[in-house]
Amino acid sequence: MEGKKRIFWDAFLLTLVVFLAGLFLGISFESSKVAQINEYYANSEIFLMDILALNNMIGLEKNCNLLADANLKMADKVYEEALLLEKYSDSEKLAQAMDLAHKRYDLLRTFLWIDSVNIKNKCNSNFSTVVYIYEYKTKDLVKKATQNVWSKILYELKQNKGDKIVLIPIAGNNDIESLESLKRKFEISNLPVVIINEKNLITKLESVGELERYFE
Amino acid sequence: MDIITIIYIAYSVIAFYFLFLFILIYFQNRGKIFYYPEYIQEYSLSMVVPCYNEEKTIANTIQALLDSSYNGLKKIIVVDDCSTDNSYSIIKDFAKKFPKKIVALQTKENTGKASGTKNYGAKFVDTELIGFTDADSYPEKNAIKQMIGFFDTEKTGAVTSQVLVKKREKFIEKLQAIEYKVIAFTRKLLGFVDSIYVTPGPLAIYRKKIFDEVGGFDESNMTEDIEITWNIISRGYKVEMPLPSKVYTSAPEKFRGWYGQRIRWNIGGLQTMNKYKNVFLKKGMLGTFVLPLFILYWCLGLFGLIVLSYRIFRESIIQVLSTGYSIETQSAILTLRDINLTPNVLVFFGMTIFFLSLVFTITILAYLKEDEFKKTGLLSLLIYMFVYLTLYPLMLVTSLYKFLKGKYSW
Repeated sequence: MEGKKRIFWDAFLLTLVVFLAGLFLGISFESSKVAQINEYYANSEIFLMDILALNNMIGLEKNCNLLADANLKMADKVYEEALLLEKYSDSEKLAQAMDLAHKRYDLLRTFLWIDSVNIKNKCNSNFSTVVYIYEYKTKDLVKKATQNVWSKILYELKQNKGDKIVLIPIAGNNDIESLESLKRKFEISNLPVVIINEKNLITKLESVGELERYFE
Repeated sequence: MDIITIIYIAYSVIAFYFLFLFILIYFQNRGKIFYYPEYIQEYSLSMVVPCYNEEKTIANTIQALLDSSYNGLKKIIVVDDCSTDNSYSIIKDFAKKFPKKIVALQTKENTGKASGTKNYGAKFVDTELIGFTDADSYPEKNAIKQMIGFFDTEKTGAVTSQVLVKKREKFIEKLQAIEYKVIAFTRKLLGFVDSIYVTPGPLAIYRKKIFDEVGGFDESNMTEDIEITWNIISRGYKVEMPLPSKVYTSAPEKFRGWYGQRIRWNIGGLQTMNKYKNVFLKKGMLGTFVLPLFILYWCLGLFGLIVLSYRIFRESIIQVLSTGYSIETQSAILTLRDINLTPNVLVFFGMTIFFLSLVFTITILAYLKEDEFKKTGLLSLLIYMFVYLTLYPLMLVTSLYKFLKGKYSW
C-alpha cells in the first residue's frame, strides 16, 4: 500500500522538476528575446546620440541633409524594431522585462519625434512626421480593434510614401513625462491618435488615400 | 504574469502530473500488464444478460457465452425487458435448445433501464459468482476464464475486462475504437493503485455475496456500473482487471447515439459523485483519489471551457470589429504581419503535453494491437486527439444542465 501511495508523490516530484525546468527554460528563452531587444536598443541609442552630435553642427547645408537622412534612417530602424518589439511583447508570458524595454523604446521614439520636429524647423526639410500614439496592452476591445487597423493603415502609408515620411509609433500610456507634456500640448485625451506634421490630429480611422491628402 | 497565463500554467501542471502518474505506474508495473492469475478454485458462475430490443445481436451474445471456455459457467440468464421486437422469441429458442444452461426470463413490465433488468435477473442466481454482459456484447472464448483467478483472493469483489469496439466501419466507430483502448489501458494502470472506478456493462463479474451486500445495482443511477464499483471499493473490497480478457461491444454508430450515451455517462458520474460526496478525502482510494479525480475532471473541464469561451468571444469581437474597420477604411483585412509565429513558453508547455499524450496513446495502441483489425490510421488518431477529445468538455455543460434540472431518462 505504501508503495502504491509513493507513486503519487513520485509523480508530483517529477511534475515539479519538469515544471521548474520548463519555467527556467521559458524564462531563459524570454530573457534571450529581451537581450536581443536590448541590443537593438543600444544600437539605436548610439544612432540617436550620433544624430544629436550632428544636431550641434547644424549651420552647414551639408550637415542638414546628412542630419535629415540620418534621422530618417533612424526612424525606419526604430519602426522595424517596434514591429519586432510588439511581437516579442505579445509572446512574453512569464517575466515583465519586455514592458521595461518597451518603455525605453517609447522614450527613444519620443526623443526621435522631438528631434525630427527640430530638424524640420532648423533645416527646413521637406519630410513629414506621422506620429501614432496608441495604448499599450489595452483591454478595451474596440480600442484594440481600432489599433489593429491603424497599424495596418500606417504600415501601408509608409510603404507608399517611403522616405517622404517619418513614421513614429509610441505607446502613450507608459508614464513618460516628456510624452505626457506633448500630449497636453496637442490636447490629446484619448488614444489612439495620429498626428501628421504636428498640425493634423486624427482620432478616427481614415483610409490610406484620405491620409495621403494631408501631405499634398 | 496575467491571470490567463496563471490558468494555463495550472492546467499544464495538472496535465503533466497525470501523464507522469500514468507513465510511472506503467514503468513500475510493465511486467505485470498482461498478467492474470490462473484460478485455483472453479467457482460456480451465472451470467445475466439484460436485453431490450436487441434482436440483431442477442443471438451472438448468447452464443459467445455458450462458447466460453470456463467450465464453472452454470447458467446464462437472459432477461428480456418486454422488448417490442423479436428478442424474446430468440431467447426462448435458445432456452429450448440449451434447457440446462440457458434461462429465458421476461420482466413483468418494461423497467426501462438496464439496472432494473439486471437486478431482476440477479434474483434467479444462486451461484458463487454473478456476471453481466450487455446484449450487444461478445466476450471472447477465454475472457471469463482469465477473470476468475482474481476471485481466489478473498478481498476481490469484482473483476472487469477490456472492452473493445466490435464494428469499426464508420469514422465515429474508429474514433471510439481508439478511445476504448485508451480507457481500457488506463483502467488497467489505475488497477495497480486500487483505483478501478467502473466495471462496465459489456462484461463484469461480481462475487455474489458482495453483490448482495451492496444491494445490487442502484436503479436510480444512470451509470449503475460506476455506482456499484464505488460501492464495492468503499467497503474495502478490490476490483481487478485482467488486460488479456476481452469483450467486444457495439459502439454507437451515429453522432446522436454517441452524444446521448456520453450525456448519460456524465449524468451517471454526477449522480455517483453526489451519492459518495461524504467519502471525500476519506475511505481509501475512493475518497482520496477516485472521487477527487472525478471532481477535478469536472471542475477543469467546465472552468477550462468557460475560460476558452471567454477568450474565443473576445478574439471574435476584436476580429469582427477589425474586419468592419478594415472594410470601412479599405485596408487589408489580414496580412502576413498579423500572424505572430514567435513561440512562447505556454506553447512549449502545450506542445510537450500534446507530444507526451500522443506518444502515450500510440504506445497504448501498439500494446493493444489486434491482428484481426486494421491498424489505426494517422487521420483517425489526429482527429481523435484534436477534435474528439475536445468535445468532452462541451458535453459536460449539457450534462450538468440536465442533471441540475433533473431532465434525464434512460
